[in-house]
Amino acid sequence: MSANASAVKISVTDLTKRFGDLTVLDNIAFKIKTGELVAIVGPTGCGKTTFLNTLSKLMPPTSGHVLIDGEEADPRKHNISYVFQEPTCLPWRTVRENVAYGMEIKGVPRGERMERTDRIMDIAGLSSCADLYPNQVSASMVQRIAVSRAFAVEPDLLLMDEPYGQLDVKLRYYLEDELVNLWQKLKSTVLFVTHNIEEAVYIAERILVLSDKPTKVKAEITVDIPRPRNFLDPKFMEIRHHVTELIRWWW
Amino acid sequence: MGYTEVVVKKPLLLKVLPFVSIGAFLLLWEWVVVSGAVPSVLLAPPSQVFTLFVDKLAEPNPDGAVLAVHAWISLQEALIGYGLSLLVGIPLGLAMGWFKVVDDLARPIFELVRPIPPIAWIPLTVFWFGIGLAGKVFIIWIAGIVPCVINSYVGVRMTQPALIQMARTYGATDWQIFRQLCIPSALPMVFGALQISLAYCWTNLVDAELLAADTGLGYLVTMGGRLGRPDIVVLGMVCVGISGAALGFVIDCIEKNCWPASEGRQ
Repeated sequence: MSANASAVKISVTDLTKRFGDLTVLDNIAFKIKTGELVAIVGPTGCGKTTFLNTLSKLMPPTSGHVLIDGEEADPRKHNISYVFQEPTCLPWRTVRENVAYGMEIKGVPRGERMERTDRIMDIAGLSSCADLYPNQVSASMVQRIAVSRAFAVEPDLLLMDEPYGQLDVKLRYYLEDELVNLWQKLKSTVLFVTHNIEEAVYIAERILVLSDKPTKVKAEITVDIPRPRNFLDPKFMEIRHHVTELIRWWW
Repeated sequence: MGYTEVVVKKPLLLKVLPFVSIGAFLLLWEWVVVSGAVPSVLLAPPSQVFTLFVDKLAEPNPDGAVLAVHAWISLQEALIGYGLSLLVGIPLGLAMGWFKVVDDLARPIFELVRPIPPIAWIPLTVFWFGIGLAGKVFIIWIAGIVPCVINSYVGVRMTQPALIQMARTYGATDWQIFRQLCIPSALPMVFGALQISLAYCWTNLVDAELLAADTGLGYLVTMGGRLGRPDIVVLGMVCVGISGAALGFVIDCIEKNCWPASEGRQ
C-alpha cells in the first residue's frame, strides 16, 4: 500500500494532561499520515474534548509533544482547524463570509480567498444560500458552514469534535458522505472524534479506540474497505462489531 | 432558499389607543384645574400651557429668551455632552471588557465615580469652568458615560466563548478577536447604551442648567418656579419631555438603519 511510503504528518508523543490529581490523558502516542482520515472513538467521559483541546493547543499539555511536520504545533504557525460540537458561526456574517473567516484570520489574499470560498461552497452545497445569514438557514447548514470554513484554510490538521452528534440520522448520513467527499477532493489530514461507532467505521481509514480515564489509546483498527462503503457489507459489520466489543469490554 | 417577509397589519384599535390615552390624560388634567380641584396657582391647565407655548414662540419675556433659543441652547449642551460620553464611554467599556490591563486600570476609578450623582459635581464645575457651556457639558458627560461603559463592557463579556475558541484555533490574535468577534457581539448592548445614555443626559440637563444658566429649557423651569408661574414650569417640563422623546426616536431610526440585523433576529 502506498500509504506506507507517505510522510508522517502528525506525531503525538507521551501526551499527558493532568488537572491536579486527576489524570485525564495518560501517555497518549500515535501518528497520522498526510491526507489520512482517522476517527477516534471512546466511551462517554473519556476525555475526548480535553484530548482535542490539548492537540489544538487551546490547552497546554502537562507533558509530551504534538508535532506537525516535525515541529511543535502552534496555531499561529500551523494551519489547525477545529470543528466544534456546538455551532460557531458568526451571526453578523453571511454564509459566504463565514466560510471565508478562517482564511481571513490566516491572511489569505482576497482573490484566492474568494476563489476557494466559492469552490468549497460548491462542493458542500452551500452556494444557494451564500448570501443568507446563519439564522436564516437550518441547523445542518450551520454545521456545514463550520466544516467548510475548516476545510477552506487547507489545514495541516483538521480536528472534528462530534460535529454531527446533534443531527438526525438522515442528515448525518448525508453530511458524512459530504465530509468524505470534501476530504477526498481536498486531501486534508483529518482527526474525527465521535462516540458513534458506525459513523467512525463509515468515514475513517483508521480508528483509534480510547480507554476510560485515565485515557490511553487502547487499540488501533485499520478500516480497509473500499468506498463508497455499505453499512450492510459483511466486512463493515465485522469491523463495527470488533470496535463495539473493544469499547464494551471497558464498560 | 427564498424567504418572504410576513407583514401583519395592526388592528385599527391598537393604532388609535396611544391617542386615546394622551387625549384622556389631557382632558383629565384640564378638568382637574378648571373645576377647581387643584388651585390654578399650583398647576396650569394644558390649554393655558398651549397658549403660553404659542406666545413664547415670539415673546422673550419674562424669562429673557424665546422658546426656540432655550431649546437650541439645551440641545447643544445635551448633544455635545452626549457625544463626548459616547466617544469616551463606548471605547473604554469595550476595552475594559476584553483587555484585562485596561479593566484593572480603569475599574477602581470608574466604580468610585459612578455612585456620585452628576449634580454633586456642580460646585466643582463652577470652579473649573465658570458658568458657561463647558460646565454644563461636563455634568451631562459625567451622567451619560456610565451606561456607555457598563453596556459596552457587558456586551463584550457576552461574546460566545465557543466563537473565541474557534478563532483561537485559526491562530487569531487578541486584537483580531476583539475587533472581529467582541465588538460585533457587543453591538446590540452598545445600541442599548445609546438610548439609556441619551435619557441620562437629557434628564440631567435640568440639573446642569441649575448651574447659573441664563437660557435653556432647564432654566425655563427654574425661572418659572422663581416667578411663581406654574404655566412656565409646566411648559419647560413638557418641552424637555417632547424633545427628549423626539431625540430617542431619532436614535432608534439610526439604529435600525445601520444595524438591520437587530430587527427580526430573535
